[in-house]
Amino acid sequence: MDRRGFLKFTAGAGTAVAAGGLAAPAIAQGSSRVLKFVPQSNLANFDPIWGTQYVVRNASQLVWDTLYGMDSKLVAKRQMVEGEEVSADGLTWTFKLRPGLKFHDGAPVLSRDVVASINRWSQRDPMGLMIRAVQKELSVVDDRSFKWVLSRPYPKMLLALGKVGTPCCFIMPERLANTDPFKQVTEYVGSGPMKFVRADWKPGAIAAFEKFADYVPRKEQAEWWSGGKVIHFDRIEWVIMPDPATASAALQSGEIDWWESPVPDLVPLLRRNRNVRLDIADPLGNIGAFRLNHLHPPFNDVRMRRAVQMALSQEDYMRAVVGSDDKLWKSIPGFFTPGTPLYTEAGGDILKGKRDFDKAKALLKDAGYSGQPVTCLVAQDQPALKAMGEVTADLLKRLGMNVDFVATDWGTVGQRRASRNPPGQGGWGMFHTWHAGADCATPVGNIAIRTSGEKAWFGWPDNAAVEKDIASWYNAKTLDEEKAIIDRVNRGGMEHVTYIPTGFYLAYQAWRASVSGVNNGPLPWFWNVKKA
Amino acid sequence: MLGYLLRRVLSTIPVMALVALFVFSLLYIAPGDPAAVIAGEQASPEDVEKIRAALGLDRPFLVRFSEWSLAVLSSDLGISMFTGMPVTELIAQRIEPTLSLMVVTITLSVLLAVPIGVIAARKVDSWWDRTFMAFAVLGFSVPVFVVGYLLAYWFALELDWFPVQGYTPIAKGFWPWLQNLILPSIALGFVYIALIARITRATMLEVLSQDYVRTARAKGVAEGPILYLHALKNAAVPIVTVIGIGVALLIGGAVVTESVFAIPGLGRLTIDAIVRRDYPMIQGIVLMFSFVYVLVNLAVDLVYVVLDPRIRY
Repeated sequence: MDRRGFLKFTAGAGTAVAAGGLAAPAIAQGSSRVLKFVPQSNLANFDPIWGTQYVVRNASQLVWDTLYGMDSKLVAKRQMVEGEEVSADGLTWTFKLRPGLKFHDGAPVLSRDVVASINRWSQRDPMGLMIRAVQKELSVVDDRSFKWVLSRPYPKMLLALGKVGTPCCFIMPERLANTDPFKQVTEYVGSGPMKFVRADWKPGAIAAFEKFADYVPRKEQAEWWSGGKVIHFDRIEWVIMPDPATASAALQSGEIDWWESPVPDLVPLLRRNRNVRLDIADPLGNIGAFRLNHLHPPFNDVRMRRAVQMALSQEDYMRAVVGSDDKLWKSIPGFFTPGTPLYTEAGGDILKGKRDFDKAKALLKDAGYSGQPVTCLVAQDQPALKAMGEVTADLLKRLGMNVDFVATDWGTVGQRRASRNPPGQGGWGMFHTWHAGADCATPVGNIAIRTSGEKAWFGWPDNAAVEKDIASWYNAKTLDEEKAIIDRVNRGGMEHVTYIPTGFYLAYQAWRASVSGVNNGPLPWFWNVKKA
Repeated sequence: MLGYLLRRVLSTIPVMALVALFVFSLLYIAPGDPAAVIAGEQASPEDVEKIRAALGLDRPFLVRFSEWSLAVLSSDLGISMFTGMPVTELIAQRIEPTLSLMVVTITLSVLLAVPIGVIAARKVDSWWDRTFMAFAVLGFSVPVFVVGYLLAYWFALELDWFPVQGYTPIAKGFWPWLQNLILPSIALGFVYIALIARITRATMLEVLSQDYVRTARAKGVAEGPILYLHALKNAAVPIVTVIGIGVALLIGGAVVTESVFAIPGLGRLTIDAIVRRDYPMIQGIVLMFSFVYVLVNLAVDLVYVVLDPRIRY
């Protein structure tokens, strides 16, 4: 029995016991005013502009408020902002803050804090950088108003200020926001519904948040990141548990209340426990990616890339990642998130239907493939990437390609993928990654589709036509117009084989039956969650 | 003796300096990039470069090493690249859980293993002996995480005697502290009980065949004093050596145990630092562990003197 099997056995045994009617252990009984939450990973730093990991964003949403918040229809709704005005020519935006906003040190939230926060955020965020490129002036009007003057209209302004993808435009006090965006802030004075308890923070073990009594929630019903952020706990503790079997046992015993990311192996067992509830965590899910290096052979030739694309079976990848639960995955012949307004399959036929190995091999032969090694960077410490890497090794071998399988860790992949050297000199041929569905709903966060050559994401695909289409989307005024553009972007990306999607997959979250109000969304929202 | 002690303490300085140079060099040439981890999956290559520059990772090796060495000489282990917190503060946060785990594990191991070894030697080839030694083989063979999961299942989930995970500081009470440590200590101590029991048995068998033991028996000394006052004291040197090695090895074993029982100790801190390439953190932890190893060895050497008056330094 291997470790994984043993983990399933013990966790299963635990579930069986719990399902058999054992009372919740006395040891585990906790206060209904304290919520214990196990996040997806360790909260190793706490500056959402400096470190853009999702776990940092997820914790930051408790502590720092945003000007706008996304609802479940992916529309940016007012949050700290009371109202905004845009001039008829679309060049001047004037925003007014809600009254009564306060920072956790008691100081009022003023326009100068917002301007400084926007300045810091916009130096790190792709949309922020775009706005900066057309910015003439960002200035304070009065304590509650500020204006942003542009040299060219930017219709996606509210989306930029309210987007879910990292980095988000969190509002900090001016003195914090004046920190270099490439350096960490050293204090954590927030504007959101919970205060960060710095004294209790033990990175890798626990992070704690206490309710901010002076926070004024909006009157509207909360929906995702928008509306009234009403917190029903005095304290929320993030307990870091690297071992899924431990988290599973702790959830069953009632020592924790909510587990953000149960591993698929344990889901059937947790489902049998009557004290545990399970649901899809994020309906926008993730998109697996086969990222190719466009600079060096063999994948600098579009025919080589296309050969892999026509042989790649998304079902193989997805079964390796999520197992046998068919509710957790679907094929995705495109680059945009299923279920969102811009989703399209235009140009994606090559990823559908029976895989044609003979045709793929013939294409490789035509392209002159002569056994160049394909250096595959495979992170062994990321289960989904490890699984995808193994499927890829098999796929490439079946195509007759020479696989140089580099089994390493994510930290090394992160370094090596930045190398533009040839594969034999420290470079690479392909690596796997995943993109959050929330990021891939629009071109805003979908950086993987960019084809701006040296300025593009790792792999450096170069295609001026696709880039032009992406740029035109930012100026689109209607949804129909946006859809037409995205059809072209998807078709162009598929033809260019910018990267190859390996499938769309979902994950579960689990919580105790005593907890209510848990939402599903791109990140765990704590407002309106209650504990009996 | 005092001179010896002084020499040993002073000898730690070059050892620590060599360790520091070795670790720093190793991390310098090792693959991996903390800037890429910090920047996140969506970051552009330019952002990664800027973060690398802000962290000072683009500076030459000698500059970085000399700066760090000077800081270490003034007891400053640097700032963690990820948390922005001082390395000493992060280590200090984690010392108590790991130290507690080690103390309880070693205490439990010695209290159980030494009597087991003595009894097994006294009743050599009996069913006692065979049972204990079968247990020892099991202890060597079963991985810590298997024992940990089984203990958590039976004693935490089913019987509800102990919590599944976590750590309670001793300041919050002795029983809550111990309650969190019993299962991890048994899991971690399993292999040490086996190791110490086997060494005790083997050494005791050798000592019990010595002439002075036969003489003591001939003089009518009771079996208890023979075993525990005469024989065990003479068998103690190898046992203490193994216990000393065990203390050092416990640091490695604690990594798995701390993960299985979600104890926020130094083992997990080490793994987190390595995975993220948090260089100041890794360097600080390795230096501290090296210092602990040196101290443990010194303590073992000093215990030899107490146990065996023939040993002189």
